[in-house]
Amino acid sequence: MSDMDKLMTIKEAAFDYQNKQVFHDINFELHAGEVFCLFGPNGCGKSTLLECLLGLLKLKNGSILLQGKDISLLKPKDIAQQVAYVPQVHKKTFPYKVIDIVLMGRAANTSFFGTPDPTDLEIAEQSLAIVGMDKYRDTPYTMLSGGETQLIMLARALAQQTPIIVMDEPTAHLDFKHELVILENVVKLVKEQGVAIIMATHFPNHAFYFENKGIRTLVALMNNNSFADFGAPSSIISEINMRKTFHIESKLINYPLAVGEHIRQIIPVNTISPVPSYGVE
Amino acid sequence: MKRTALFIALVLAPCILIFVSLFIGRYPIDFSTVLKVFLSYFTSIEVADIDKTVVMDIRLPRVLLGAFVGASLAISGAAFQGLFRNPLVNSGLLGVSSGAGFGAALAIILFNNTLLVYVFAFGFGVLAVVASYLIARTYNTAPTIMLVLGGVIVSSIFSSLISLAKYMADPYDQLPTIVFWLMGSLATARYQDLLYAGAPMLIGIIGLVLMRWHLNILSMGDKEARTLGANTNLMKTLVIGFATLATAGAVCVSGIIGWVGLVIPHIARMIVGNDNRILIPVTISLGASYLVLIDNMARMLTGSEIPLGILTAIVGGPFFVYILKRTKGASW
Repeated sequence: MSDMDKLMTIKEAAFDYQNKQVFHDINFELHAGEVFCLFGPNGCGKSTLLECLLGLLKLKNGSILLQGKDISLLKPKDIAQQVAYVPQVHKKTFPYKVIDIVLMGRAANTSFFGTPDPTDLEIAEQSLAIVGMDKYRDTPYTMLSGGETQLIMLARALAQQTPIIVMDEPTAHLDFKHELVILENVVKLVKEQGVAIIMATHFPNHAFYFENKGIRTLVALMNNNSFADFGAPSSIISEINMRKTFHIESKLINYPLAVGEHIRQIIPVNTISPVPSYGVE
Repeated sequence: MKRTALFIALVLAPCILIFVSLFIGRYPIDFSTVLKVFLSYFTSIEVADIDKTVVMDIRLPRVLLGAFVGASLAISGAAFQGLFRNPLVNSGLLGVSSGAGFGAALAIILFNNTLLVYVFAFGFGVLAVVASYLIARTYNTAPTIMLVLGGVIVSSIFSSLISLAKYMADPYDQLPTIVFWLMGSLATARYQDLLYAGAPMLIGIIGLVLMRWHLNILSMGDKEARTLGANTNLMKTLVIGFATLATAGAVCVSGIIGWVGLVIPHIARMIVGNDNRILIPVTISLGASYLVLIDNMARMLTGSEIPLGILTAIVGGPFFVYILKRTKGASW
């Protein structure tokens, strides 16, 4: 990994909300072509960390560097030229056409009183084609399903032409097929466009999925306000870590798909009754 | 092709309506007389002074002012609907109308001077919006929901103050003036009104037209808009500023004219869709045409003038129902 590929550096990052610590001592680096999975129980501070990485919230301590520049010194426009965002759920108000939504990804490259030009429209159309939604170009996006909407959000992020895309649980509320469609698209973006992905997820198997596809994947297991463990999926997503972090029993399996190819998955089995440390039966 | 035809229609509609309005009214002036009045400025054609006065000094400023007021209310309504991500809001959301109403009532009681009524209406309209904005401002930003609440609070305070002003006003002289002002009218329009109120309305309209695409971005909500690269604080402040200039400019000369800022944007949405790049210019044309049309009715329908604020809803309501039924609320 050369320094040229280093897109984002997080050093000693800490964040408080109303004097309550949300996270501290977060350190990691992100390089082009990597998928960084942020994994941990509800309320562990994943979303807050993502908002800091997007420049929406300011760290209490430490720093986030985007290609060497401190994010707190960058304007929203500068940040948006480096980091794009795919929200967990997008709230729809007006029935904009699909293409108009994707075109909004060009805002960071449009002047304050300006409107997008034909080049921007071309980029938006290409982005839509990459996620395979070009046939819905002129459909009101309020008519799309949750999975289709998520693809449009991905296309919008793609139209931003940023080296990094941040996704907050992008497959929450999606059915089996659309979950896979999103994952397949992410793989395509990383492999073909060299994008780096930061993804908060509740599904440890997503990290295995990327690893199985031959993408350099990192998992940060977030618990007790910091990274409890950090590394490659096969070393982090383990039965013991599931027990420690989620208090569940799980089974790690290796299932052969074809000769020389197998899929690694972790299966939740049962919850462990809490340790009787409260002293009350 | 269809686009071009629509564009031409939208440019021509207000122009034709403005022209037609010049020979509508109690004093009979026919088409050729109107033409002669215009030509008399460039050629040696003679026209009666009375005709010239009625066309140029009474009807033309009134019709032009009506077009400006309609355009201002409609464009601000559309901008606020985008900014607040709510198709049910109108240009008065942040209290500009009730603020202006109170300012006018106060000036009527204190001074009974037309110019001061404008100044007070405009000033208090702007003041109301600033107050809503300050109430909403927390942690260096003004979240949308806080702005809405700020607007609700400020509007109700100024509504109460309007009632107080009515209660204290002289019931034979000032009270009717206040009540008529609040119902909205263009009957007293002169060129000077166009001069005073035209400037803020024009600045507001131009500003919103320039920011029209970024209204799309703002309608994605603060969080997404920022990740798309928008400086949401500055943009929101500017949109609110331009919309307030336009609305306060309109209200201070016309009184309170409801409905235009809510319904014209909706009719425009049904015709051209929700992309603010097209929607915003279209609301100018429709708003101007609608108010010129309604003002003609106000002048013509009965022996004495009907206040505009009454007619906008009575005529517009059924028309909106018709549009809703025809499009079956499509795309909502």
